[in-house]
Amino acid sequence: MECRKYESQFNDYLDGELSLQESEKLQFHLRKCLSCYRKWNSLQKTKEILSRLPNLHPPAHLSAVVMARLKERRLRKILWPFDYIPRWLPLGVAAAGLIVSLTFWQVLPPSFSFRSFFSGQDNTLNMSGTSSQSAANFSARRGGSQTPVPVMVLRVKDFSRADRQLESMLRSISEPVVQEREPTRSLNSSSARLIDVKVPEQRFPHLLRELHKIGHLDQSEVEVHRLANPQRQKAISLRIVVVGNGSDVEIHHLRK
Amino acid sequence: METGPLAQQSRSFKQEEEQLLVDRCRQGDRDSFAELMRLHQKQIYNFTYRMLGSEEEAEDLTQDIFVAAFRGIRRFRGEAKFSTWLYRIALNQTRNRIKYLARRDFFARQSRRLRPGEESPWQNPELLADIAPTPEQWTLSKSLAIQVQSCLNQMAPQARQILLLRDVQGFSYEELSEMLSLNPGTVKSRLHRARAALQECLADKLE
Repeated sequence: MECRKYESQFNDYLDGELSLQESEKLQFHLRKCLSCYRKWNSLQKTKEILSRLPNLHPPAHLSAVVMARLKERRLRKILWPFDYIPRWLPLGVAAAGLIVSLTFWQVLPPSFSFRSFFSGQDNTLNMSGTSSQSAANFSARRGGSQTPVPVMVLRVKDFSRADRQLESMLRSISEPVVQEREPTRSLNSSSARLIDVKVPEQRFPHLLRELHKIGHLDQSEVEVHRLANPQRQKAISLRIVVVGNGSDVEIHHLRK
Repeated sequence: METGPLAQQSRSFKQEEEQLLVDRCRQGDRDSFAELMRLHQKQIYNFTYRMLGSEEEAEDLTQDIFVAAFRGIRRFRGEAKFSTWLYRIALNQTRNRIKYLARRDFFARQSRRLRPGEESPWQNPELLADIAPTPEQWTLSKSLAIQVQSCLNQMAPQARQILLLRDVQGFSYEELSEMLSLNPGTVKSRLHRARAALQECLADKLE
């Protein structure tokens, strides 16, 4: 019982935390109790061993490396002064933005207009690139068909002259051929025009020849359409976009 | 430890010098920080070495501790001693590093490497030439030093750190209590348990 009491004082004695009186009592006990003395001796040696553990010298370059790291950090801080915003964040945001843009690009129809989306207008009507009213009329005059009409782009040098030539040519092919004409759909431009025509199958080569005479004709879309629909139709519906040279932006809008 | 009036005066000068360096550091003076580092790097390096048992890791960790100290020095208000504050950073960084290394099975590999009788840093004569600058400081046999490190590695990090801070680095209970955010009674009881564990581990060498 007495030994246990003294054993509990070993650590305090070792740390010099026992009072003088308690220390004397403990020393007296240690002199007469071999078991306690052995335990005390072992503890004392343990502390001694720890205090005599060799001290390693830190590498000579340690300080220089730390100072270099601090310098590097200072440079990085100049380039990116926002301590609490991780440096990968802008890249992450850009990547997320790119993914969202690509997703929209794939999901939305190519003619989707963000401007009209946010202004609350009906995108489906604006897909033709006209005001809602004229688009509806246009669609009705085309028999309400939503099937895509192949487009031919006719690039001309002198727009007004070509326009006159085209008008007389289309009349000459045959009167009922020209089904629709929408000269005002060209985004208020005087250098572009959109014409919807329906031409009998047998007159189509003639129309192409005449168009080639007026300007440079891109008919690839019509050819693709004809290849994709090999059954002979009585009449071919198509859209002619007439533009002066250099009006690529207008071609894009008129294609819509 | 010296306790005479001259020693006390010298300690007071040291503290004043340290405080001056800290003040300059807080204004961004890197030279003062280099000087502070020079004063403390040996203790910190030895502490991290004893905690991790590897010189490479100790070097890395010491670097991290001083970089973290420089980053946080503006927040040091001087309420505690600079060394106490620095060791608090060292303890946090060491705790994180131990977790990181434990996940990578580092300590298991280390204990296999440090098996007594096998090649270890302590048996490398070139390394030992660097050890113990004064003769009286080092009288332990190499095998005992290896055994002590092996025992330390086997102990829980909490026990190891308290043992090293008190019995190797010589911090007082009050300082330990502040560093570890524990009350002095808890510090004492943890230290006594840690000593007992080491005593048991070294039993055959102590007889």
